[in-house]
Amino acid sequence: MSAKVKEIIFSSIVDMRNEIELEGIIEDYLNDKLTEGEKNAFEELRRNDPSVDHRVVTHKTFVESLASYANTLELKNKMDAAHAMIDVDQLSRKLGPHPSIIVNIWRKNRAAIAVAASFILLTTVMIYSIQLTTQQTTGYEKMSVELNRLKSSTNSLIRNVKSNQHHSTAPVKPVKFGGTGFAISSNGYILTSYHVIEKSDTVYVQNNKGEQYKVEITYKDPVNDIAILKIIDKKFSLSALPYSLKRSAVGMGESVYTLGYPKEDIVFGKGYLSSQSGFNGDTLAYQVAIDVNPGNSGGPLLDNSGNIIGIINAKESHTDGATFAVKAKYLQDALSSIPQDSVVGKISSKKIQKHRLEPSKQVSKIQEYVFMVKGL
Amino acid sequence: MSNKLSSSVPTDREVVLGILNNSEEALNKLYTGYFPMVLQFILNNNGNEDDAKDVYQEGIIVLYNKIKGGDFELSSKLKTYIYSVCRRIWLKKLTQQRKKTNNIADFEDVLVVDEDVEHHEEKDRQFDKMQSALLLLGEPCKTIIQDFYINNLSMQDICEKFGYTNTDNAKTQKYKCLQRLKKLFFQV
Repeated sequence: MSAKVKEIIFSSIVDMRNEIELEGIIEDYLNDKLTEGEKNAFEELRRNDPSVDHRVVTHKTFVESLASYANTLELKNKMDAAHAMIDVDQLSRKLGPHPSIIVNIWRKNRAAIAVAASFILLTTVMIYSIQLTTQQTTGYEKMSVELNRLKSSTNSLIRNVKSNQHHSTAPVKPVKFGGTGFAISSNGYILTSYHVIEKSDTVYVQNNKGEQYKVEITYKDPVNDIAILKIIDKKFSLSALPYSLKRSAVGMGESVYTLGYPKEDIVFGKGYLSSQSGFNGDTLAYQVAIDVNPGNSGGPLLDNSGNIIGIINAKESHTDGATFAVKAKYLQDALSSIPQDSVVGKISSKKIQKHRLEPSKQVSKIQEYVFMVKGL
Repeated sequence: MSNKLSSSVPTDREVVLGILNNSEEALNKLYTGYFPMVLQFILNNNGNEDDAKDVYQEGIIVLYNKIKGGDFELSSKLKTYIYSVCRRIWLKKLTQQRKKTNNIADFEDVLVVDEDVEHHEEKDRQFDKMQSALLLLGEPCKTIIQDFYINNLSMQDICEKFGYTNTDNAKTQKYKCLQRLKKLFFQV
């Protein structure tokens, strides 16, 4: 081994020695183990030699991160010990997601579901209120008294007997409808609303004295809601009709009245003509402001002079005082259907009366010509 | 919210003082007190029990370092702080795993703790680096370094423990070990 090599090895050993010594001093310095004099001398060296200063800083940082590593490790070990004391499985069962998919969907989408639900609720409420409003405008009640809601008529009874002999013993309740009608001739032709007798085959009329007459239906017009009845009793006869048919238009606001049988006794109702058109703009009818009740259907609508201007047939169900009456001019078809030779003292549409009688006098006279119509 | 947690939790003051005094009892109380809350959060957000343990321990370390660092002010409840930190850590992990992170099911109020969590992530990287460096260092260097720098044994103790003939030899050995460790640490 040459002297040169020996020298290099020796100097590197010396360097390392110095390095070790330096590190020892740095560590002592950082741990505050140097004496006052040594500390001052070392700080002097730090200031003068940047490489020494650099070594102090890097060493400090490194030892600190080593210490932080050690602390964290210790903390982790302590936490693992603490963790071992917890019954994680039991907690998981209690706190984990519900096994049911539906519950999870509910939990995760609570907000969305709430929004959807309120939307549906809102929509339902809106649709419902719209329907309510619509019902108000479309509600339309026929004014016949439906005394019994069983819709089986004599017709269906007959059919039952034919098809099911063994069922013929079953008791059949007759359907009773009630309405009003008025005489259109002195020999027993009576005009009423079609819907009053619509479901009946056997119809009776009763006058204000309580006398009943059996009638036959001679004319039916469902479109205009008109029917004509004829009292079968040949001996029946009335004195000349105290009223005539007023086919010309009646002015709005004109006082009108009606007579009808909403109950067993004849009832007078007074009001005024409130519109030239009927339900939903129906030009066949007038709208009148008279409170009517089921049973008024078919009753005559008269003006103050005692002329018949219409026939009561319906009212708006949710609006009080909106009653509809078929206009007198549409009764013409019905009247012309009556065979001329069988009519005696037919109602006149030409001689329009003008204040012949006081309204109260008119009523007492007219009521004899107004009948209760009873369908069986 | 469902499933109210009923486990006994120490008061916030108790925890802070306990940590500053290195009280193991305080740590245990803290740990067991708030674990169910974090477990519930993780389980209901695409995680399992192991995820909960990892995230919770990281959260406690964040709190621990913050208290130890002296810049912890009781401006919020500890519970809220721990929850927020763990939540942040877990959401980051979920994003890294490319899992769905919308529709987070929350169980507590949430604070903004991004800064603390980022600071922690830096420290966590250092921890991992140190751990693998020490692993690569091997024995007896690892033990010598740990004894001297962590367990604060004197050179004399180490000399006797490892049977060196004199302290200078021990010092040389320790020096070489530290140099290697530094090299490994900055390489990894």
